[in-house]
Amino acid sequence: MTSRSAPFAIRSSRFDWTGLFFAIVLTIVIAVPLLVVVTWAFTEVWRYPSVIPQQFGLRYWQQTLVRADVWDALWISIRLSATVTLLSAIICLPAAYAFARMKFPGRDIFFLSFLASHAFPKFGLLVAIAAIFLKLDLIATFWGVVLIQLVSTLMLMIWIPVAAFQAVDRRMEEAARDVGASPLRVFWSITLPQAGPTIFAAVLLTFVSTFYETEGAWLIGAPQIRTMPVLMISYINNQIVVQYGAVLSVILWVPSFIALMFARRVVSNGGFAKGFGA
Amino acid sequence: MADTAQISAHGGTQPARGRGLFGLLLVAIPVLLVGWLIIYPILAAIVSTLLVDTPEGATFSTASYRFFFSDGYSLANLSLTLWTTAVCAVLLLVCGLPIALYLRFSTSRFAAYVQGLAIFPMFVPSIILSYALIRTIGPNGTVDLLLNAAGLPKLPSPYLTPWGPVIGLVWDNLPLTVLMLTAGLGAISSSAVEAARDVGAGPIRVFVHIILPRMGNSMLVTISFAVLGIFSSFTLPYVLGPASPEMMGPFMMRTFNDLADPLNAKTQAVVSFGICLFFGLFYVWSIARNQGSRSR
Repeated sequence: MTSRSAPFAIRSSRFDWTGLFFAIVLTIVIAVPLLVVVTWAFTEVWRYPSVIPQQFGLRYWQQTLVRADVWDALWISIRLSATVTLLSAIICLPAAYAFARMKFPGRDIFFLSFLASHAFPKFGLLVAIAAIFLKLDLIATFWGVVLIQLVSTLMLMIWIPVAAFQAVDRRMEEAARDVGASPLRVFWSITLPQAGPTIFAAVLLTFVSTFYETEGAWLIGAPQIRTMPVLMISYINNQIVVQYGAVLSVILWVPSFIALMFARRVVSNGGFAKGFGA
Repeated sequence: MADTAQISAHGGTQPARGRGLFGLLLVAIPVLLVGWLIIYPILAAIVSTLLVDTPEGATFSTASYRFFFSDGYSLANLSLTLWTTAVCAVLLLVCGLPIALYLRFSTSRFAAYVQGLAIFPMFVPSIILSYALIRTIGPNGTVDLLLNAAGLPKLPSPYLTPWGPVIGLVWDNLPLTVLMLTAGLGAISSSAVEAARDVGAGPIRVFVHIILPRMGNSMLVTISFAVLGIFSSFTLPYVLGPASPEMMGPFMMRTFNDLADPLNAKTQAVVSFGICLFFGLFYVWSIARNQGSRSR
């Protein structure tokens, strides 16, 4: 959003009423539901029709954190996300480099084939995969869930890093080569520092999106593999103490918040949207 | 470095054969995964729903599809899904386009704040959103509390009605819609807009005659992407939506897991593929075209 002309009567001399309108409406619509959850997490008593809780406190944090199912689910979620992210990075980043820099038969077709995961309704695809896994006895196993999550990360981990490698200034690489740097040295000192931040953002987004993925984990993992989001759904369905869900939401949101801090620049600079075909 | 320069120039001379093979090797695993876990399951789902095992061997049969399209409950689920998808698509355009236009052309200090907020839902997982919406628009939720405190009559809660998932899905899909529309608007040159304004065109005429014709394609891509996501969404309809009829996502989950009926679950999946085929093809086609024009 650099300097642009203002055809919609937004001139610097006049007050930006449109902007104020959007700011207020979006604040209400986006922020209020989240604030309500945070308030519930620190509430001990909140009876209708009081607008603010009658009693604040941390009692339910303690009650939530002593539950064994919470720790089991958290441990499975972390192990799952770490495994998927690592595998995805190992198989996708070299491929992304190849797509960005090398020429080989079928390159364009293969590159576009990663779109396939976005070109079908996701849940239908998951059901089709689950039917295959049923025959392979991968249902309700850790590795079955890893595989299904891996599929959802492929596009993210190929397309964003490819854009990152393509954005590296070739002239700097060539200059380094001209003064005698080895290809590995060029990669380490020139290519990686430039592409690094974007690739790091892709890795972080992969971890976070795997952590929160619900439907694949449930469809393939149920009932043995219960991740945090799946546990959360059962809390919502069984309507046990309201605060458990609120406390879990606040805890669950932490990884996302970290991702938000690091990845925001990558997400808002337009390259990310281009990865989805805009 | 001469060879890399040729590689970047699309359609340059062929590099050494060894390098090509090395490239193929590097991309082999992800490509094979796409083949094994995307292409093959889709084909297998189509084939296995059409070929039924009989004592004389597999024979062609459309029985599971005939069942789907004659079963009242399946059809009610399908029409609820179509309704939700259509309403969400329209609402996303109505909400996303003004925000994208504002972000594209504004230079004010509100723009960064509005952009930050519009992208924010991307970092709120749908499961947390589901929970937040139950507490906000559900029975005795915050909206009820505030209306009651202001002495206003209660509104009927959208929770567990078809509008519950609509609200959640629009909230959830707003960031990508805004990002993709803003990226599409970025292709419109400021000089074209300025020229129109110089000859006295108002904001609405600028929008209709200059902006709209140039972003038709990016609007279609955005909508296609949203439709593909919404049509088979699971978490939000499952938590916020009615139990019966249900959207295709929860329906497929129940058929597969609770009823342990993979054949009918696969049939439902293939029907979803068929209905979304146009959007999927358009999405891939337009990205392939963009990719082609970018690498040349």
